[in-house]
Amino acid sequence: MGIIKATNLEKHYPNPENPLVTFAAVNDVSLDIEPEEIFGLLGPNGAGKTTTLEMIEGLTSIDKGNVFIDDIDVRKQPYAVKKIIGVQLQSNEYFDRLNLSDLLLLFASLYATSIDPKALLAKVNLENKIKAKPDDLSGGQKQRFSIACALVNNPKILFLDEPTTGLDPQAKRNLWNLAKTLNAEGMTIVLTTHNMEEAEYLCDRIAIMDQGSIIAQDTPQQLILDYAPEPPEIPLRGNIEDVFLALTGHGLRD
Amino acid sequence: MFTKSQLHLAKTFIKIYYRDRQSLAFSLMFPLIFTGIFLFSGGEPDPTDIGLVNQSQNELSIRFVELVKEKDIFAVTEGSEADLREQLIKGDLTALIIIPIDFNQSNTGRLRLLLDASQVRQVDAIRDSLDSLLLSIERELRDTQPLFKLELEDVKARPQRYIDFLLPGILAYMLMNLCIAGSGYNLVEYRRRGILKRLFVTPIKPKDFIISIVLARMFIVIIQLSVILALAIGLLKINVLGGLYSLFGVIVLGAFIFLCIGFFLGSLAKTQEAIRPIALLFTLPQLILSGIFFPISSLPMLIQPIAQALPLSVIASSMRAIANDGASLFAIHFNLIGIVAWMFVSFFIATKFFDWQKVAS
Repeated sequence: MGIIKATNLEKHYPNPENPLVTFAAVNDVSLDIEPEEIFGLLGPNGAGKTTTLEMIEGLTSIDKGNVFIDDIDVRKQPYAVKKIIGVQLQSNEYFDRLNLSDLLLLFASLYATSIDPKALLAKVNLENKIKAKPDDLSGGQKQRFSIACALVNNPKILFLDEPTTGLDPQAKRNLWNLAKTLNAEGMTIVLTTHNMEEAEYLCDRIAIMDQGSIIAQDTPQQLILDYAPEPPEIPLRGNIEDVFLALTGHGLRD
Repeated sequence: MFTKSQLHLAKTFIKIYYRDRQSLAFSLMFPLIFTGIFLFSGGEPDPTDIGLVNQSQNELSIRFVELVKEKDIFAVTEGSEADLREQLIKGDLTALIIIPIDFNQSNTGRLRLLLDASQVRQVDAIRDSLDSLLLSIERELRDTQPLFKLELEDVKARPQRYIDFLLPGILAYMLMNLCIAGSGYNLVEYRRRGILKRLFVTPIKPKDFIISIVLARMFIVIIQLSVILALAIGLLKINVLGGLYSLFGVIVLGAFIFLCIGFFLGSLAKTQEAIRPIALLFTLPQLILSGIFFPISSLPMLIQPIAQALPLSVIASSMRAIANDGASLFAIHFNLIGIVAWMFVSFFIATKFFDWQKVAS
């Protein structure tokens, strides 16, 4: 039984060049995501990944179709759904002049729950930044803080929208490990990415989107068997990133 | 009455404001400059600078010069006609009185009054007071008692200076600006930076968000206005005749109206650049039409009913009635009806136009 069931989702926007015509940002998308899996939505920019995610999260209205999360209808009870999910958005700006602890306590209060900011920051490796402002953080730290914010309500499902875009390889690996740890604790994770390596390394199953529709959906291994071309005759040992990491080490650089 | 989430969010907004030392310093600067200006001028308009040329130097003319100098509304400079004429043209003087050589009783004395016609407002006042001066000299010389005498008596029987008239209006005007900046400008900024979207990922409702901002800003505005009021009472010796509770009651209701209107303007404005002209379009006409610097009754008849219905007018005139006339809330019930009407209108447009799904994206 899927924890997220989306059927025939559609979202239309007016065409920016001709407002009388609409285009389908999301067209007939259906997803069935199992509890405790890491599910990836892959696709180029503008494929409709974020819009799909935001419809599931109750952030964007649904033009057509249905979404049930843990058997709650998102269209009918968006606030009940928001209570059991955690969301990390692509942009992560916060109120000025508040430190990490202030912000976590603020988000916790919006769920009418109480938390220990220090313990939560320790979970994402930021316990020594408790009095820092988000602007003082590096890219990777910011992403990890933004995940901490999404964890204040101890959600059943965590949504990550392009979590590693713009991060250096060390920070990226670190974030992947965090996702794996959270998943091992029983959290379902849905993420969007256009990083193929990330999808392959992290996801149990993948849906590939293009121009608003899902064009393939399966485990990474099966997708490779189905669609990947034959390997070259002499395979290289690893890639340049492996070389980079071997030379500069795995330690986090921020 | 309020949920924990609403109170925590409101507390956070206050914390953000309190930690913004620069805007805190600047918001204190305005009341200080304002009180400073009036402290120096004593709360009264400056006397009019006039020049006086006495070409006659006879007993009559000297007596006339003395009488002119006694008048508080004039600051008199004596000198030669050529010098003073130059000063008049430069704008250092508003008018120049020339007493000709042949100024005497037999010649039914003629004075020449040279004016800068662009100073229209002062010209009438100068002519009137000169006329009455001449009349009183004439009586003195002829030793006659005036047939009629005008005695000015303030029906409200209290010292009323211009500053007393001005202060409640200025407070109301500041209230409007602070509120619109507090809700409207912030709303646009939070939307642009994606902060609103982040908030609405959590299960808070738009209502919670609006209530929190209104609570926080009300608290901040009341403190700001209290500081100004305290300075005005302490340094400018402003008389607040009515109850402070009534005055702050009106301020709280006014804050509600303008915060809601701020939300409405913030929802209309799509960009940070657009909010400024939109807000000015709302505030500037009211600065002129709402009787802040001069009474509404001095406006053209046609505009008066509209001017009286403006939100800033009902707030400013209520505050003025309480501060200057000692009116109770009951005594201003007609204004209160206007305030309550604006509360409904502003709350309606604020909630109607604040569509967070649009606002947050």
